[in-house]
Amino acid sequence: MKLQIENEILDKIKFTFHSAEVRIPRHQRIEVKLRHDLIHPFLGYAKNTLGFKHLSHISCVDWLEDNQIELVYILMNYENLVEVIAKIRLNREKPEIPTLREYWPQIETYEREIHEMYGVDFIGHGNLTDFILEDWEGIPPMRRDFDTVKYSKENFFHREGREDAQDVRTTITKKSGEEIPELAKVYSVRHLE
Amino acid sequence: MREKETTIYLGPQHPGITGNMMVKLKVTGDTIVKAETHVGYLHRAFEKLMEARTWLQCFPIVCRICVPEPDPNEENLSRVIEEIEGREVPERAKYIRVLVLELSRLATYLLWMGGQSGSMGLYTMPQWTVGDRDYILDLFEQLTGGRVYHMYIWPGGVRRDLPEGFKDKVLKVMDYLERRLKDYDDLLFNNALFYKRAKGVGIIDKNKAQEWGVVGAPLRGCGIKHDVRIDEPYEVYDKMDFIVPTYEGGDVWSRAMVRRLEFEQSISIVRQVIEKIPGGDFYNKIPNPLNWRVPPGDAYVKTESARGEFGYYAVSDGSVKPRRVHARGPAYVHGVSLLERILVGANIADVSFIMNSLGTCPPEIER
Repeated sequence: MKLQIENEILDKIKFTFHSAEVRIPRHQRIEVKLRHDLIHPFLGYAKNTLGFKHLSHISCVDWLEDNQIELVYILMNYENLVEVIAKIRLNREKPEIPTLREYWPQIETYEREIHEMYGVDFIGHGNLTDFILEDWEGIPPMRRDFDTVKYSKENFFHREGREDAQDVRTTITKKSGEEIPELAKVYSVRHLE
Repeated sequence: MREKETTIYLGPQHPGITGNMMVKLKVTGDTIVKAETHVGYLHRAFEKLMEARTWLQCFPIVCRICVPEPDPNEENLSRVIEEIEGREVPERAKYIRVLVLELSRLATYLLWMGGQSGSMGLYTMPQWTVGDRDYILDLFEQLTGGRVYHMYIWPGGVRRDLPEGFKDKVLKVMDYLERRLKDYDDLLFNNALFYKRAKGVGIIDKNKAQEWGVVGAPLRGCGIKHDVRIDEPYEVYDKMDFIVPTYEGGDVWSRAMVRRLEFEQSISIVRQVIEKIPGGDFYNKIPNPLNWRVPPGDAYVKTESARGEFGYYAVSDGSVKPRRVHARGPAYVHGVSLLERILVGANIADVSFIMNSLGTCPPEIER
């Protein structure tokens, strides 16, 4: 039967976690939206009882409008080849969540990076030291309200004689004397920022 | 006499390190007691940049996430967009994508053979394989216009159709590579020195491999049969006839043997594509690319790259730009947490040997 395995897993998750929103977006995929305090028991249940032993990765999405930070855990079961995408949302002002190091040792790297790039605090991690950045201060750089243009203006300078070569399109048109079409102007890189 | 503990910094500029990263080693004598990976020499904020670009402008960025193997990135990003949008891809384009992916796998394996033998001092092999890889790059140049970065696979299909006479050229290169395999066997894979050097080095515990997030050839080298092409077939891999080789042992030797056997399988897949490829369209045209809005939603797709599971998680909020694109490279796990663990107890001279066998690629870690 089509989606039989997926439906069986969906029923088990719904039975154990009543408040979870579960859906099957497509074949071999299950999406679970959870309350943030349930992620620890859920991942333990998924790994030990449902057999989702492989952690593909953890991702983080900043929802600035909702004042929330979303953590996305992607797990895979090698036996029935189904993938679970578990999502939780944290308060953006003070995002905190207990670490999951005891389930998957490799999670340490992901948590270190998310802490550095999004400012999520993983309680009990013990090694939330610098990973990619060095001595970073201020807003974590991957957050939506981090102003990249302002940051680069403050920290970097243009080489002498290169001040005009900031927008490639403008420079090329200046040299060639051609006009930029209106359509292209709207979507030039500068506009996107 | 108690041996003194010394700290050694291997990299970021070191011929044995596979890219710009550093491994801080604590050693007593020649034996490693503790290893710590340091990255950050190559961070180009690709994921942040993509949030400020239109979907199509992301393509020149993603292929730079992995230098030796850029095609899985393009294919993944295309497919993740197609999944969010529900866009159909013509059958011919799917076959061409498989062709490109397998050619890129062959090119990566050639480069790996060079790196693996170079890291043990067998310098003839890199001279051969890097030269042979150029034949594949020539094919890419004819097909896409680029040798290393192609920007060829994009949402809805591929950018161009196969050029005239291309199929014959591909078959010629495949015949050549198959002949060359005998030479590679004589020099590397049947070489007693390589066996002695690689056997029992850099062992991954089979029982912990899944928990540690090991993927690709290192996982199959532990005897666990897992390949995204079989487990979750994408494009037209379900129509291809190939086997997934596994090997017991979990050491550098078994990983090398898995790759050696896969090399033949890839040649066979390329031949099958050339034989079975149907006619028709190669591109399902997207609307105005400058004002192309992908409907809100998210998706995770993955590809079996030459080094393991390569995944992309993308979120769209309905605007012209992606909300978030996250690339999951196999090296993220292999190059940091796994490497730190399996280096303990190894010899200093084996560090780059083990790194090569895991397919560590720092640009993927930092993105």
